[in-house]
Amino acid sequence: MFEFKPILSTLWHHKASALLIALQLALTLVIVSNTLLIITDRMEKMARPSGMDIENILTVNFLAIPQDYDMAGAVRADLDMLRALPGVVDATHSHQIPLSGSGSANAFQTQPNQETGGEVANYYRTDPHFIESLGLALVTGRNFTETEMQVLAPNEQRQAPVIIVTRQLADKLFPGEDALGKPLYNGDSPMEIIGIVERHLGAWPEWSKAGNVVFFPALRTTQSMNYLVRTESGERDALFKLLADKLAERDSERVIEVNTLSNHMARSYAVDNMMVKVLSTVGAMLGFIVALGIVGLTSFWINQRTKQIGVRRALGATRTNISRYFLVENSLIAATGIALGAAAALIANQYLVRDYSQPVLTLLPLGICALVILLVSLGAALAPALRAANISPATATRSV
Amino acid sequence: MLKMHNIRKSFRTDTIETHALRDFSLEVKEGEFVSVTGPSGSGKTTFLNIAGLLEPSTDGQYLLDGEDVSNLNDRQRSHLRNEKIGFIFQGFNLIPDLNLFDNIDVPLRYRGFNAKERRKRIEKVLEQVGLSARARHLPAQLSGGQQQRIAIARALAGEPRFLLADEPTGNLDSLMARQVMELLEFVNEWGTTIVMVTHDPDLARRAQRNIQIVDGQVCDLRPVTEQSDAVSA
Repeated sequence: MFEFKPILSTLWHHKASALLIALQLALTLVIVSNTLLIITDRMEKMARPSGMDIENILTVNFLAIPQDYDMAGAVRADLDMLRALPGVVDATHSHQIPLSGSGSANAFQTQPNQETGGEVANYYRTDPHFIESLGLALVTGRNFTETEMQVLAPNEQRQAPVIIVTRQLADKLFPGEDALGKPLYNGDSPMEIIGIVERHLGAWPEWSKAGNVVFFPALRTTQSMNYLVRTESGERDALFKLLADKLAERDSERVIEVNTLSNHMARSYAVDNMMVKVLSTVGAMLGFIVALGIVGLTSFWINQRTKQIGVRRALGATRTNISRYFLVENSLIAATGIALGAAAALIANQYLVRDYSQPVLTLLPLGICALVILLVSLGAALAPALRAANISPATATRSV
Repeated sequence: MLKMHNIRKSFRTDTIETHALRDFSLEVKEGEFVSVTGPSGSGKTTFLNIAGLLEPSTDGQYLLDGEDVSNLNDRQRSHLRNEKIGFIFQGFNLIPDLNLFDNIDVPLRYRGFNAKERRKRIEKVLEQVGLSARARHLPAQLSGGQQQRIAIARALAGEPRFLLADEPTGNLDSLMARQVMELLEFVNEWGTTIVMVTHDPDLARRAQRNIQIVDGQVCDLRPVTEQSDAVSA
């Protein structure tokens, strides 16, 4: 026996305070459901597989001081030295550092001189060691060979005849087809796809086209260069200082900075991490405030109705009847708030999707948030409801 | 109907123990209309609470309708209150947010009657107290006498064996008090046992028997007529 009718009658007579709590719950649902969506989206983004052995990769960036620096010779000597170090799996050069937020992109088409269509992709100039150095998985085709390497002057524009691409880019440019052996263009010269790697996020994990990546077998001899050094598991931190010392020892005419790929990734995701923390805190605080409001209102109503509860007990209500009465009353308020909030959350989400490119709110996360809010609401009402159940039936005969 | 033997009720604080009732024994027979009087603080309300199973006694035996109810748990006491006892309070104790129909419905819902049965009973008692036309009104829209009649209707709807009235006319003027008393007498004539706590000696005299409580003990159990004779002599 849930006493819906008398509870609804009572709520109708206290509609202002009941409605305020319902609106508070509704607003909480609007904020929490859309916040949860943003948090989930950010967390999914951060949890995407990068395709790399991130925890075991060191990055080296150096700036050569002499203007006539022999970059090609230095790269060759450095990499030979690095690859020979105990604990190093492999090392490669690259004109950009993955996940660092700094890199290059270009448009790639399937037809020569194509003016529209194609896909924009992040690209690397690197060497045949990049697959092993990054821990990438070559799913089809082959790696570059040393003979395919091009050494380019700082301003030289020369197309590579062969490229390796990510599967994401291959699938976008050649949907339903095998991209291996097919040419890509950035102008009129074909670049044959000789290999496809499973995945790689590229330089900008936040980018909407992250995962569109092209690798060229090339070295451009500018004043600055990056090395990516993959170590054996657990050796990264030990090699961190050694790498800097060895490189400085081999050639002191440069400024060297060693870092970990994990640090670059953490820096790239710093905003997402912060947003997840801030939004989670806001959501938890909102839940807490709502719970306080419900505890306050339920306690107030119980204090107001102490005599009435005593009368109900005198008329035969058990303790369970009394606590259930208040829990049902609270559930009805919560259900009203959740119904209003669900509708408002969906409307608010349409606005967020349209103007802020946020993900679409589906019924599952909305339902989860509604359930959590209902449970928070019931949890908050539980203690006052149990307290109400302990009001003595003898209260009914007290004159004050 | 109601039999109390050596009932004791004491309240204890850290330093002192107060006896609200002690060696309290009495018997009320089925169909009786008994008034309970006594000065303030004599233990009338404590007696009413124990008789109505609103609180347990500290000691002693209480038989209600032949059943020992001294050691029942809270749930059992609630069920027994609901099934066998009707309450009429001085302040009416109607629930202000519920209309008269729903007020009478409260104990019937706890009894577990279905909606049809509840409606039938509510309509019957509303007619008995002459307020059928006001079923959808709120208590605040009624006079004090009408509110007490609704409280009586609520007490009667479950067809209790035993009616406990706590100063039922205490908040009413003399005309309304007379109407309420007539209604209680009428109810008693149907066979319902009534125990009425009152300060009013005129009302007490209208009962078949008066029990006087002084200092937590029964001090006079004579029928009302004998008590009146003694006063006259």
